[in-house]
Amino acid sequence: MKFARTFKQHLLEDGFPEHWVESAISYRKLKKCIKKVEEELSEIGLDADTLSLLLKTAEKNQGAGSDTEDQEEKPFQYVLSPKGSRGQNEEKSYPTKFQPKLLFMIDEATGEPLHAKLSPETKQYLHQLALSENITDIRITDEQDDPKANPTDRKNSLASTNSRSYRTVEVPLISDSQFFGTLQSELSGLATIQKEEEKKLSSEVEDLSNVVSKMTKPKDSKSKHDLQQWRRIFELYLDSRIFFSTSERDPWANNYERAAKGLGNFAAELQKQGLYDDFKSKEGALALHKFLNINSELLQGLKFQEINNMATMKILKKFDKRTALGATSNAALIFQQTPIPASLARAVCAEISNHLLATVPQLDDYLCPVCFSIAWRPVRLQCQHVFCIRCLIVMQRDKQDHCPLCRKKVVMEADSDNLDDSMSRFLKKYFPEEVKKKQKENERAAGRDTYGELYDEKCRVM
Amino acid sequence: MALPKRIIKETERLMAEPVPGITAVPHEENLRYFDVTVDGPSQSPYEGGTFKLELFLPDDYPMTPPKVRFLTKIYHPNIDRLGRICLDVLKSNWSPALQIRTILLSIQALLGAPNPDDPLANDVAQRWKEDQNAAIQTAREWTAQYAKV
Ligand SMILES: [Zn+2]
Ligand SMILES: [Zn+2]
Repeated sequence: MKFARTFKQHLLEDGFPEHWVESAISYRKLKKCIKKVEEELSEIGLDADTLSLLLKTAEKNQGAGSDTEDQEEKPFQYVLSPKGSRGQNEEKSYPTKFQPKLLFMIDEATGEPLHAKLSPETKQYLHQLALSENITDIRITDEQDDPKANPTDRKNSLASTNSRSYRTVEVPLISDSQFFGTLQSELSGLATIQKEEEKKLSSEVEDLSNVVSKMTKPKDSKSKHDLQQWRRIFELYLDSRIFFSTSERDPWANNYERAAKGLGNFAAELQKQGLYDDFKSKEGALALHKFLNINSELLQGLKFQEINNMATMKILKKFDKRTALGATSNAALIFQQTPIPASLARAVCAEISNHLLATVPQLDDYLCPVCFSIAWRPVRLQCQHVFCIRCLIVMQRDKQDHCPLCRKKVVMEADSDNLDDSMSRFLKKYFPEEVKKKQKENERAAGRDTYGELYDEKCRVM
Repeated sequence: MALPKRIIKETERLMAEPVPGITAVPHEENLRYFDVTVDGPSQSPYEGGTFKLELFLPDDYPMTPPKVRFLTKIYHPNIDRLGRICLDVLKSNWSPALQIRTILLSIQALLGAPNPDDPLANDVAQRWKEDQNAAIQTAREWTAQYAKV
């Protein structure tokens, strides 16, 4: 299927909000613009075939042993220069507009285009352009347009070619400005949508965090039960790695397809484990529903940005193919203003993990780094690293003075003052089961220390 | 004695999130004993080779470091004929917060950066210092001969 159709179908059928669809890249309109550029160019004999032949010839000539900078040897250049860019101090409250320019290299003496295999009419046309500029003595470079332009721009203006007695003339085109203007304003519209969406979802996450936090504050058996439920839900959520794959070596952002699969798996797993409606608090089911909604809306945002990015890429490629102007090589400038699909996911996911997931402490964040079980009872060394008391005893017995995490010599000096009481209270409150279990293990290990390995056996017999 | 939780968790994680270029599989009858393979790092003389190692977790692990040994013959200044490895984190610089995966990554890094000034295989280190190109060539040949699967 043609991309234009696929794109339109996505926009119409994927359930995006109306104002999103209205702000999407207008692929058809841009295509028409390209057609106009094509017509303009071929009117003056600079159609795609001619231009690519010109480039090829230039490359060949250059291959023949010249070691000059390739910039200067190009027969023409198509540049997107910032339009009306003022001093750097000026605040950029609006995105920079780009003015596309087609610049031809003309021999100053003869008025002949460089490396040009052009029809006589086109040569004549360019010659005329050069002449008219001689008369008015306007050099088509940025600093002429704007005397305050910063000096780094000047480098790109091909001014150096003058010393080789070539100069540049601008071929005036109209439709290409229209093309890039349209594309640019659409991209900045998309960026605005992304920002709004980020704001909206973030505030939803915050509201939800408050609800879940209230529901799970351990005070009675009801809230303790719900705390366990939410902990399992969030564990599953993290394990599903919906929007980001977090392997320690390279965390990467998932694309829409992977994220959609991840979210599907998460929902299926909730179902399987019966977590949907097993809440003691009556707000529980509704809150979980909201959580899933936030995630699917995020997914929609990801998809919308993805298809628009695809449309942008395709239309730029088409522009190049039809005109041979080489716009995509300059497109980096435009893409700096393009919203990156992953950035919405990144922002909202950060919100989810900092606010929502943080309301329900996860065991993984309170493990002793030596035995990998809950750091009970927690001993905070002078370097602020926390270990369970059992591992600390073993380290001290082995006369290992170095902190396992930072190697500071702080292990031997630790005593009962290093017990972290407030963390103890916290762990007991949020992880009662794990604390109880670890307490038993510690007691058994201490017994083994006193009575030897047989302690285990005896206990079991008794 | 039951397997400590720490070892169970490490093993689970090694299986669930394997390190690229490294495998470690515990023996069924002894879960403290691992069959390990490490791929030679790219742009090293060991590139293209897959090296077999054995790794054993002593009773007082993680208070003491794992015991690791190359089984595949390898030409390296810090690895001797018996496959023993001269690596600080396996000895004096061991910390109980290090893990099997971090140790194996260190070993893989050692293949990428041999250190002839702190040798275990003295003859290899000698040659490495005298004629590095020839030593690297030998390491390459040994890799081709012994470490290709
Ligand atoms: Zn511990
Ligand atoms: Zn420390």
